[in-house]
Amino acid sequence: MSTQQVARARRTSTSPARARTRSAGPPGEPRRIAYLYLLPAFLVYAAFLLYPLGRAVQISLYDWDGNTLATWAGLDNYAEVVTDPALRAAFGHALVLVFFYAVLPLVVGLGLASILNRARVRGLPFFRTVIFLPQVVAMVVIGVAWRRLYAPDGSVNDLLRAVGLDSLARGWLGDYTAALPAVGFIGTWFEIGLVTVLLLAGMGRIPGELYEAARLDGAGPVREFFAVTLPSVRGEIAVALTLTVIAALRTFDLVYITTRGGPGQSTSVPSFEVYNRAFQQGRVGSAAAVAVVLTLIIFVISFGITRVAEREGA
Amino acid sequence: MRVSRGERLANYAILIAFAVFALYPVLTIVVAALGPDDAAGGQVGGGVLGLHPENFAKAWQDGHFGSYLRTSVVVSATVVVISVTLSILSGFAFGTMRFPGSTVLFYVFLLGIMMPSEAVVVPLYFDLRTLGLTDTLWAVVLPQVAQSVAFGTFWMRAYFRTSSRSLVEAARLDGASTRRILWSVLVPLARPAIVTLTVLVFMWTWNEFLIPLVMVISESLRTAPLGLAFFQGQYTQGFTLLAAGACIVATPVVLLYLFLQRHFIAGMLEGAVRE
Amino acid sequence: MRSRPTTLLAAAGLIGAVALSACAPGSNSDSGKSSAPTGQVSTDPSKMGDVTLTVWDQEIRGGQKAQITELNKEFQAKYPNIKLDRVSRSTDDLNTTLKLALSGNTPPDVFQANNGRPQMGSFVKAGQLVPLDRYADAYGWKDRYPESVRQYSSYSTDGKTFGTGSLYGLPQVGEVVGIYVNKAKLQKAGVSMPQTWDQFQQSLATLKAKGELPLVLGNLDKWPAIHVFGTVQAQNVQPDAIRKLGFGQKGGSWTTPENTKAAQTLVDWVDKGYLSKDVNGLGYDPAWQGFAKGKGVYLIAGTWLQADLGKQMGNDVTFVLPPSASGSPAATGGTGIPWAISSKSKHPDAAAAYINFITSKDAMAVLAKTDNLPIADTAAQQAPNALGKDVFAAFGTAVQKNALVPYLDYATPTMSDTIGAALQDLLAKKATPQQFLDTLEKDYSSFVSSNQ
Repeated sequence: MSTQQVARARRTSTSPARARTRSAGPPGEPRRIAYLYLLPAFLVYAAFLLYPLGRAVQISLYDWDGNTLATWAGLDNYAEVVTDPALRAAFGHALVLVFFYAVLPLVVGLGLASILNRARVRGLPFFRTVIFLPQVVAMVVIGVAWRRLYAPDGSVNDLLRAVGLDSLARGWLGDYTAALPAVGFIGTWFEIGLVTVLLLAGMGRIPGELYEAARLDGAGPVREFFAVTLPSVRGEIAVALTLTVIAALRTFDLVYITTRGGPGQSTSVPSFEVYNRAFQQGRVGSAAAVAVVLTLIIFVISFGITRVAEREGA
Repeated sequence: MRVSRGERLANYAILIAFAVFALYPVLTIVVAALGPDDAAGGQVGGGVLGLHPENFAKAWQDGHFGSYLRTSVVVSATVVVISVTLSILSGFAFGTMRFPGSTVLFYVFLLGIMMPSEAVVVPLYFDLRTLGLTDTLWAVVLPQVAQSVAFGTFWMRAYFRTSSRSLVEAARLDGASTRRILWSVLVPLARPAIVTLTVLVFMWTWNEFLIPLVMVISESLRTAPLGLAFFQGQYTQGFTLLAAGACIVATPVVLLYLFLQRHFIAGMLEGAVRE
Repeated sequence: MRSRPTTLLAAAGLIGAVALSACAPGSNSDSGKSSAPTGQVSTDPSKMGDVTLTVWDQEIRGGQKAQITELNKEFQAKYPNIKLDRVSRSTDDLNTTLKLALSGNTPPDVFQANNGRPQMGSFVKAGQLVPLDRYADAYGWKDRYPESVRQYSSYSTDGKTFGTGSLYGLPQVGEVVGIYVNKAKLQKAGVSMPQTWDQFQQSLATLKAKGELPLVLGNLDKWPAIHVFGTVQAQNVQPDAIRKLGFGQKGGSWTTPENTKAAQTLVDWVDKGYLSKDVNGLGYDPAWQGFAKGKGVYLIAGTWLQADLGKQMGNDVTFVLPPSASGSPAATGGTGIPWAISSKSKHPDAAAAYINFITSKDAMAVLAKTDNLPIADTAAQQAPNALGKDVFAAFGTAVQKNALVPYLDYATPTMSDTIGAALQDLLAKKATPQQFLDTLEKDYSSFVSSNQ
């Protein structure tokens, strides 16, 4: 998954709501020339995103090896998504990744941001730069680094041994029970910075008077957090969740670099199955079906989280 | 806000702990890359002040990073130039003009922001293959332009909407043409937004993995992240040169980030909130 | 709210239109295989004009890299009109990229394609390889390479039969999986070199009791355990039965008492702690590198590690065929990954000339010199060192006694994935021997029945 889609996704999560409230009065005067200005962007976009999406739907209805003539398969490929244990496992793994990419960073990020927001510590800009850094590093590089950390003689095991937890030390990426959480934790590391910085920005916009009022009521830090901070950053939370959940569902590079789905099938994820089926196993129809299902899930989640945030805000 | 001394100390401790956590994996690579080559016997000492910058030269050569970086530069530059230009044009239309179907069209563009490249890479590959376009620069560039244009349209539209109404009207009263209004009045003012868009598109393209993995066969068209992935498979004797290769691949974007971090963070976070 | 249904409708309409209007995938691809070219082939590279050959190989480890570098240099010097554009990557990465490349429009001219059905078999089936028979006749390859070697890269032209038919690739090196023994450690532990399979198993127990790591295995990459299982299997199952399974011919079965015993042996080894800890978490390369540095006493691996281990361990290491249970040796092995030519190559003659050059008698001498195991004229070559002598002798014995059985992942187009994952499951005790064999049987039998 690239940061690209993360950032792209976040646009949609807040914007439709905001854009809609504003678009009551469209700007500017009516002008037909607008189409001319739109045309080049639309052509590239339609040819390389919209059309392929339609083709993905079409291919998913066939049994196709990528070379010879395809045979009509109806909805068989979609039935397979539900019945094939390997695919079900892949989507299950994606759910586990959602916990590591989205839930964990959100919890940590909320804590971290509210602490930092309460006490305006010096060095905050520097901290922001540092903690956001993982977001701009190529996933391949991140994978190389963490493979090293997770190696049997890597830093993670050194740390465990240093604190006396020798029994936990293992080859993390090759261990059936540990590999998926280990990959997920890389996601946690990757997303914490994004979530924290996002929440910090949101909390920075909370009017000071709200806190003053809460304190006059005798609220401590904990009640202050639940009464003032949390409700005020609901929008940011929705944005953060949309971004990170989508990132989790789309994980590809990381799995490709660190485990290639192993050991066994214990870290296979939908995107990796798409790649594997289409380009390695010659099951292009099935790959397209997985891709379409994945896209639908991502669309639904993006709209869903935004709607929930809107409704609670209203 | 007043906080106690103890709380402040605790805050700094937390800050430092998380900063270390965020930096540690990155530093592991940098330190390993500068250490003695563990595949060549791993002798401690020597080098420059105990460091071994020659590892980078060796990795550069062994991993063919020269060719990979050149491709990455060409691909990124092409994607940035095309998609920023197209986004300015379309953002201008959406942001300053009223025309039938604008809302529907805009939502169609928004769809593209969410669309995962995994969904389209399968049909794209097979269709481009039929057209004989796989294994060309365009097979790598155009799909990424499409993705970037979806975001870029959204981004530039937001900017043109907030900034331009009165300016456009004033310029029009002066008799300026639509084209002139865009390129001579609005674009110079939109420089910060354009810079942000540029660095984001550059970063996404530089770091992209799946599209070049699938679309390209020739070694001369492989981008830097792919080069690193292949180097990892090939270089099994140790970690030093692999780490050096990883540094080489990550450095351009990280450097840009250090200089223009406001644009990165603003682009990825604040834009939508402010809109 | 107003806009959303419209949007969805518009998008759905657009996508639906595409889905319905376009014709079935693959309808405009030239699925008809190009008929095999006929006629005279040119065998004089210097008369082929200026040609650039794109070559993809996986010769990246010490001795392999040395030989191909040397041979490429000699080839370039001799035929400056043929420019080699060499791309090398790991076996895994080569496999991954080769599939895509061969189905694309601009595949490499010459490349290494693994013998089995997952690779060479599926390429043959898709008409992506040039049959080499005409070149074999022109260059006399059939005299230099005995039938027992050629069968490993021979297929019927429809790709259905493996082991006979047209020749699609030519290997440079021979391979046999045996046991590397750290003699120094074995001696220190007071164990003498095992001569029978029972003695070997006994020695594992003794070594374990003395606190040594008996058997090194790093199975993160999924395939290394295939070689260990193959070795164990060869001591329990008749060679002909294994050949049926390995070549994906009909009439074999995985779910036999003999195979169960082999799988159970492997599980027992895990239970008794004979194998490396975290066996699925350790990479193949770190595993043998650890062995080279004195970690562990036995390493079950192929002759391709000869150069690296010989260089690092000197006289401390030896290589033997697995001591056999029945008296007649049996070992997994065959050829190194053969070189093949793309059917889309514009210069098949030059490509064949290149393959001929790197498999010539002179090339075999270079291979021997650079710590590789030349597949042809092995007896005529001088082994570079003590380990080399052991390896050459072991391979010679295996070939002479017809002891080689194919790699198990050759069997079906999906078998390398299936058996790789299944063995990881078996070693991690996620699957019982019975479940393990059922998984393999399912893959094997469904392929065999669809391959009529």
